[in-house]
Amino acid sequence: MKWWLAICLGLPLAAGNVTFDKDIAPILYQSCAPCHRPGEAGPFSLLSYADARKHASQLVAATARRFMPPWPPEPGYGDFADPRRLSDRQIRTIADWVRQGEPEGNAADLPPAPHFAEGWQLGPPDLVVRMPMPFTLPASGVDVFRNFVIPLNLRETRYIRAIELRPGNKRIVHHANIVIDHGRTLRSQDGADGQPGFPGMDVITQSVGEFDPDSHFLFWKPGTVPYEEPPDMSLRLDPDTDLIFNLHLQPSGKPEQVQPSVGIYFTSQPPTRFPMLVQLEHDGDLDIPPGATQFTVTDHLVLPVDAQVLGIYPHAHYLGKRIEAWATLPDGSRRWLIRILDWNINWQAVYMYREPIALPKGTRLEMRITYDNSASNPRNPNHPPKRVRGGNRSEDEMGHVWLQLLPTQPDGDGRMALQEALMRRRLEKYPADFVGHYNLGALMLTRDKPAEAIPFFEAALKVKPGDVTARNSLSAALIADNRPDAAVRELRRVLQTDPRSPMPHYNLARALTLQGELAGAAAEYKIYLESQPDDADAYLNLARIYIEQKQYDSAVRNLREAARLRPTDSGVQINLGAALAMLGQMTSAVEAFERALVLDPGNQTAQANLDAAKAELAKRKN
Amino acid sequence: MWFTVLLLAGLQINSLPDPGTKPLVLFFIRADCPVSNRYAPVMEHLYEAFHEKGIDFRLIYVERDLTQARMEAHRHEYGYSIPALNDPERRYVQLAHAQMTPEAAVFVQGKLVYRGRIDDRYLDYGKTRPEASRHDLEDVLSEIVARKTLHPRETKAFGCAIADLP
Repeated sequence: MKWWLAICLGLPLAAGNVTFDKDIAPILYQSCAPCHRPGEAGPFSLLSYADARKHASQLVAATARRFMPPWPPEPGYGDFADPRRLSDRQIRTIADWVRQGEPEGNAADLPPAPHFAEGWQLGPPDLVVRMPMPFTLPASGVDVFRNFVIPLNLRETRYIRAIELRPGNKRIVHHANIVIDHGRTLRSQDGADGQPGFPGMDVITQSVGEFDPDSHFLFWKPGTVPYEEPPDMSLRLDPDTDLIFNLHLQPSGKPEQVQPSVGIYFTSQPPTRFPMLVQLEHDGDLDIPPGATQFTVTDHLVLPVDAQVLGIYPHAHYLGKRIEAWATLPDGSRRWLIRILDWNINWQAVYMYREPIALPKGTRLEMRITYDNSASNPRNPNHPPKRVRGGNRSEDEMGHVWLQLLPTQPDGDGRMALQEALMRRRLEKYPADFVGHYNLGALMLTRDKPAEAIPFFEAALKVKPGDVTARNSLSAALIADNRPDAAVRELRRVLQTDPRSPMPHYNLARALTLQGELAGAAAEYKIYLESQPDDADAYLNLARIYIEQKQYDSAVRNLREAARLRPTDSGVQINLGAALAMLGQMTSAVEAFERALVLDPGNQTAQANLDAAKAELAKRKN
Repeated sequence: MWFTVLLLAGLQINSLPDPGTKPLVLFFIRADCPVSNRYAPVMEHLYEAFHEKGIDFRLIYVERDLTQARMEAHRHEYGYSIPALNDPERRYVQLAHAQMTPEAAVFVQGKLVYRGRIDDRYLDYGKTRPEASRHDLEDVLSEIVARKTLHPRETKAFGCAIADLP
């Protein structure tokens, strides 16, 4: 009886009759056709029996080696949304079909052909911006990694629920990253070599100003449907923002033009949850000797807050071989975040987790990347192999694991805590790092801890003594720490080398005010306001000086400017009313106090001043 | 075995040059094969470099269902100036024992002296060099031009299998 059972079990394992209509078409429709159809990135279509036959042995070989569909992560090391991986069984089915002579089968078995939306996948965008000039990719040669500046020209801050990239020429755009350039710092590099854009495999932006770290992966690869953010996690874009398209372009054999466009979908809802992109890296350790087959770089970060991991983006260049990332929880258990055994830059991608991975405070995030700089690595760009170090040109190396983390503690902005942990880790790796010191100083200043900020800014200035921003920030910390004399010394030094920057004038005015040098302070505020005529705080501070000096007409003039900029600020109206009263202009003073009470009906100061002004008016009438 | 003498004279193809006089390079290509298309500038470059040094070149389109108009359109699209032939009967394919597109076959005095890849940039699925490190075909052609003694050789071409075509 036993052998009879074995035959029963054995039957389904035998190849059986595999047909295109019944077995192959469902696989192609689901896993191949999103790219392999007319107008898409796949170089040929896989929609019909004839299509499949013409590429039958390619289908077998490419799937058996798991080259297609491209899905580098190992199964069991991170549960990702929309996996493109074929099962072992599907791969066997394709091989069996070809071995059996590629039978077509019975048309009745054929599933309905897949339907794909044409044009913008999320419907008509609210704003479409196209790269101003096309870029011409030569017919042959090495792959091109190029960055294009896309001006957005927003008039006001907007919130974004989705961004859809249309590469314009899917045949040659292998993948694309969109980088947000706060403050338009990269425009100056655009077109420097006579073609649109500028070269580089990676984009490094710097932003000065409010703490607003990158929060979302903006990534495109062939066959992807744009990712729509949850309504409470919209993306903020400020008016002075450019988008940078970071494109990997692969020559096709004939000259091709590429002119991508981007469709932006707005929402009126500002975010209430704030994810942050956090990078594990140790590019400073990248110094790979020629011939090395197992050169390894590691990094880690201990979570200072509870957080969820939403997505992951591993990145290395041609020598990268194995990329791993995992989380070691405080109880010692390990959760894999990703494992890629045969890294291929051509298939780099952002992977979003099917469900967020919740990690408690104290979890250690870790990455390990291995490089093969031997001649037996076919992707090695150097023959013979040579020493390779970190950098953003394609002949340099990188080793990054980016994580989209969402701090989940209920109080406060967990991103600040993450930023602090990242910057402290950065100083462990790079003790003489300007950015780490500067950012920690800025963080302490934001937290109102100027005494802790000062040594960080001083350390940053040791690295870059000529950095105006850092020296100005140091002086701001000194002012906040009530050390105006030291601040004045620093600011005079800044203004000697850079008399045009407005911020040092503003800070000098504040420091001089603290010293009691009111005339000098007023002069500095005036210089500042010449270039920054819309800064209400500066007008208010200047007005305060004039009030102290009993120059009420000048005070009124500046308070009116402040009122213009802050029409709903009751405090400005109260001060304006008080200054007008001191000038004896009681009717105007009454109007100002009344405006203050309209803006803030219960305000007792406004009410008391209004009563006093009215009493004074009544007295005058008598 | 594969480099035994193969006389092209047995084929009645007027547009093929007389194999007895000039060395001849056949490039087997396919209009819908991405690897084949990516090599177009390389093939064209070799043609530019060697056809005036006494070597003849032909593109051999291997698709049976390819119309003359489609073939000409493809040639134009990829900037080929190499003369092209359609091979619906697969006579040249059989002659050279070609299996892939793109694949090169080189005949000298009717003898097949090289068959295989153009260079080593594309080795296998996922095994691609940023740039070629060995220029196999160019080396053979240089040896022919230099009148060196040729040792027939074969390499493995990577691309789209001709056998898949109907």
